[in-house]
Amino acid sequence: MTMMEPLAAMTTETQPALFSVRDLRLSFPDMAHKPLFGAAPRIEVLKGISFDIPTGQITGIVGESGSGKSTAGRVLVRLLEPDAGEVLLDGRDIAHLGEEEITPLRRDLQMIFQDPMSSLNPRHTVGHIIATPMKRYGRGGTREDAAAALVKVGLPAEFVSRYPHQLSGGQRQRVGIARAIALEPRFILADEIVSGLDVSSQAQVLELLKTLAQDMGITVAFISHDLSVIRHLCDHVIVLDHGEIVEQGPVQAVFDHPQSEITRTLLAAIPRPELDDSWFD
Amino acid sequence: MTKHRHTLDVVDLTIEIPNGMRLLRDVSLNLEPGEVRALVGESGAGKSMIGKAVLGILPSALKITSGEILMEGHNLGSLSPRARRAAVAETAALIPQDPLTALNPVRKIGPQITDPLVRIRGWSASEARKRALDLLDRVHIRAPERVMNSYPHELSGGMRQRVLIAAAFAPSPRLIVADEPTTALDVTVQKQILRLIRELQRETGTSVLFVTHDMGVVAKISQKVTVLFAGKVMEDAPTRDIFTDPGHPYTRALIAATPSHADPNRSFSPVPDSLIADLHRQIAQDDSLYRGARP
Repeated sequence: MTMMEPLAAMTTETQPALFSVRDLRLSFPDMAHKPLFGAAPRIEVLKGISFDIPTGQITGIVGESGSGKSTAGRVLVRLLEPDAGEVLLDGRDIAHLGEEEITPLRRDLQMIFQDPMSSLNPRHTVGHIIATPMKRYGRGGTREDAAAALVKVGLPAEFVSRYPHQLSGGQRQRVGIARAIALEPRFILADEIVSGLDVSSQAQVLELLKTLAQDMGITVAFISHDLSVIRHLCDHVIVLDHGEIVEQGPVQAVFDHPQSEITRTLLAAIPRPELDDSWFD
Repeated sequence: MTKHRHTLDVVDLTIEIPNGMRLLRDVSLNLEPGEVRALVGESGAGKSMIGKAVLGILPSALKITSGEILMEGHNLGSLSPRARRAAVAETAALIPQDPLTALNPVRKIGPQITDPLVRIRGWSASEARKRALDLLDRVHIRAPERVMNSYPHELSGGMRQRVLIAAAFAPSPRLIVADEPTTALDVTVQKQILRLIRELQRETGTSVLFVTHDMGVVAKISQKVTVLFAGKVMEDAPTRDIFTDPGHPYTRALIAATPSHADPNRSFSPVPDSLIADLHRQIAQDDSLYRGARP
């Protein structure tokens, strides 16, 4: 069984960042408090955050529910358009690109979702699910291509003719990974992809993601509320709280010397698999 | 009946689906008064099914083909369905995994807690209301009156789970089945919820059967552990022993698969395929219908 080592040692620190995000702001209308006439008040979800996503590395984005971590991720893959700020991809601002300009970039910016049961179409076979985006972006899309992608994520090629409900949770999440990597993207956003899995499938999926990212040179942003997972998987970490960055840096530094109360709280909340009578105190 | 009465005894329980395939294999475990026992295993190991069998809420296609469930010494299998339901309602309660589906979306929180108190405990409406408010306060809900008047969708996930904990403890059950009650929650909320269950459990002396797949949670909440694989008990031991000297290779593998941020050098690794294959082979030797859970 291969053990997990941080990627940082293998890449040069001098590579420019894939993403440079500067002063990113985003708000949603608060429909619960909308007056009968006139505009709804806005809820500030991201309050001017700046960070880099280094090329070829895995960056963890961590925070509690409502901290804005998923929103920040969705701006990177431009599923959301920010109110203000820059999202530089290779130095080009993609924050406000129109659909026509963003479409050619979509293949490079892929996403794996938290719940594969709702992100994989239950009426389509696994083969169809993987092949459709490949055809869409002119990267093949035959049954054989889909089978090859399945083999890459450690699933049998015969799975092309199965339906999502016939697979276990861990297998479904591998299909999500296969669909993303089949397009040979430069960047993958993984949003809480192991939260629904039990520990053994979780370890398998994480190991797979790490190996594939390494082998294919894919940059990854990994969103999670579990700092244990981040510590083992990521090179860098960004800690968010209420739409602001409270801490960021190399994983080792942040874990060994957490600077913010939020990071310490998140660390202390993880039940580690060891006896500790004082954990609840 | 023995002098030392357990809250729960599950004796050689076997559950099958109609084609004869076994989902639980001769599972035995017990719970002493005031004890928390963790039922741990991967998806499909049968841990939730044991909880459902104990509460008598197995899906109708599943049949208990052998074995017994004794609640406070009473054999539930010897009772009529009606008497069994009454006995279970009298003794046991459930904290479910998903607080949104467990609560009726079109009823206010208040009656969802008080109804069973009136119906099963026979309390008056005002007694039941007082108890509900008291319990909501105990699970650190700041405005119990307002929450009683809210609908489930108006509460956050953590709040809903607290409501369900309050509802479970309200009738003072002697046994609570907690079925992955924190799996859907953030780590910080999970810690609050685990603390609440522990507080109330210690105060009331309730026994808890705690279903989880997280060895970290096992270490913090339980005194005894049953480790399951493919419906079979791999190990049954005090929690202390499980973490200091695990007896079964599968237990060791589950602990090794749990990440720990404290010690990055202790890398975590999936349960080895070879071990899984071995276990499948052992089970198939006793069960010709068994094909193994995963390809």
